[in-house]
Amino acid sequence: MQSSVKLVPVQAAYDDLLQRSLSKLSGDLARLVYLASTRDYNTGTYHHDGLAARYRADAASEAMEIAHRQVFYRLAACSLEELVGELELYLNSSRECPTDVLRVWQKLEPYRIAIPVEVNPAVARLFLSNVRLALAIWRFRQKQTPAHQ
Amino acid sequence: MIGVPTALLIGFLLLLLLLLAARGMAAARDLPSGSDTPLLDALEFAPCPPEFASRIFSPEDSKFVSTTKSPQLAKLFRSERKIVALLWVQQTSTAIQRTMREHVQIARASEDLEFATEVKLLLLYAELMLICGVLFVAIQSAGPLWLRGLAIYADAHSQRLAQVEQSFKAATAARELHGAGVS
Repeated sequence: MQSSVKLVPVQAAYDDLLQRSLSKLSGDLARLVYLASTRDYNTGTYHHDGLAARYRADAASEAMEIAHRQVFYRLAACSLEELVGELELYLNSSRECPTDVLRVWQKLEPYRIAIPVEVNPAVARLFLSNVRLALAIWRFRQKQTPAHQ
Repeated sequence: MIGVPTALLIGFLLLLLLLLAARGMAAARDLPSGSDTPLLDALEFAPCPPEFASRIFSPEDSKFVSTTKSPQLAKLFRSERKIVALLWVQQTSTAIQRTMREHVQIARASEDLEFATEVKLLLLYAELMLICGVLFVAIQSAGPLWLRGLAIYADAHSQRLAQVEQSFKAATAARELHGAGVS
């Protein structure tokens, strides 16, 4: 009884998150970065004021954690070609200059902190490796076609 | 009767199998060099979804990288995928050994062991350790992309081993409960 009472707001918060926030972002990479950015570095809990106001703060955090893990596993399961597509979509939909974003991503590797906590280490390593490769491929393509810059 | 050369060959093959199985067991302890994944407590990692074994060892990404015709990208891809594949073998080997350790602990306390089941489990464990050893050596020497079938086989059978161990655990617990109820 207790668990079903708890599950309902989490499911509702999850559906709400998908409909109101995540569906508006273009691509899973943007969703991953967004979800990771709502996570507290020290506690690992997720914060979303709107969601917490409509549901409970703990339900909102749990819903975001589930969504984060799902988006992450979806991206980690992508082929390299699909991931390059995701990266291209992310860079092109960013307000910043794609070349600048690419440079910072290659230097600082901010995507490392976009990994959820409870994921398999080999899958996490596969994701990091694929993003690193996707960045290198995207950069290589940019060099091959300078007119795109 | 077998001749001396045949006996030597058999002895050599057995030694090789033993060394590979030992390599498979040691794989659980060795973190591949260049792996920047923080080593979580080896006993406390989330399970690897089955589709990822196929993904890690898939030649699809290699084919895609080769379309760029860049030797640097191809080299980067080979080195990155090798590290991921070695990490996967390490994790699989750790999970198999953990399953067997749990089984041994329960079996020690159990009073009615089935000899055939125990032998089957032991053979499966030895086979999986051997496969992990082969995978470890083969990935290090030639890369992971031609080992997909073997990796999927190891993945499926390590899950089978875990399932058998789970049912053994459940059956032992049920027997103990039943025994406690009767006494």
